[in-house]
Amino acid sequence: MSTPARRRLMRDFKRLQEDPPTGVSGAPTDNNIMIWNAVIFGPHDTPFEDGTFKLTIEFTEEYPNKPPTVRFVSHMFHPNVYADGGICLDILQNRWSPTYDVSAILTSIQSLLSDPNPNSPANSMAAQLYKENRREYEKRVKACVEQSFID
Amino acid sequence: MKVTIKNWVGVATWRWVANDDNCGICRMPFDGCCPDCKLPGDDCPLVWGQCSHCFHMHCIVKWLQSQQVNQQCPMCRQEWKFNNK
Ligand SMILES: [Zn+2]
Ligand SMILES: [Zn+2]
Ligand SMILES: [Zn+2]
Repeated sequence: MSTPARRRLMRDFKRLQEDPPTGVSGAPTDNNIMIWNAVIFGPHDTPFEDGTFKLTIEFTEEYPNKPPTVRFVSHMFHPNVYADGGICLDILQNRWSPTYDVSAILTSIQSLLSDPNPNSPANSMAAQLYKENRREYEKRVKACVEQSFID
Repeated sequence: MKVTIKNWVGVATWRWVANDDNCGICRMPFDGCCPDCKLPGDDCPLVWGQCSHCFHMHCIVKWLQSQQVNQQCPMCRQEWKFNNK
């Protein structure tokens, strides 16, 4: 069955394959184009470097007029990631635009890893350490990076 | 009371600026039709906003209807007004 949302997702996938952004990858699951698996590689020169963080993206038939639900499957320690893996990022909520595609979503999450926003914390411990004890913050993040090799 | 801003963190978002051959919402070429239509042409027209951005009429109308509060252009976030030239 082909719906506007599914056709848009096919184009998103094609673009991701033809013009892959560095450090992210994603593909629909085998039997359902509405659910994707993605990986974000930790950006260089950040404590997330070398990590391979897995995510799931769930779309509805209202895509691209409504944003998908994006969640980290890998354990994360980041000021803007909730304990259940949910992400607090404005473009996935009230700043969503239907001109975004999967590439743009993954690239934005990747830049959130480099530039956390401790003023709208989803993980208050991570936000506090990020602001007040950068060394301890980096230690906790590095533990996630190591965990991400095993998951 | 005096407020001093000690720290300000900006988060930049990256976005593909669709070239003018494709509709930025459905990503289908403008010389084709939106994903809801079968045949391009008068039944699936293009429309321009006063901000000069262009979309399939069906695509922008669906977006505006899904927005409860602000009716913004998806490209530039200015208030969307149809440009009836
Ligand atoms: Zn369109
Ligand atoms: Zn149409
Ligand atoms: Zn505009």
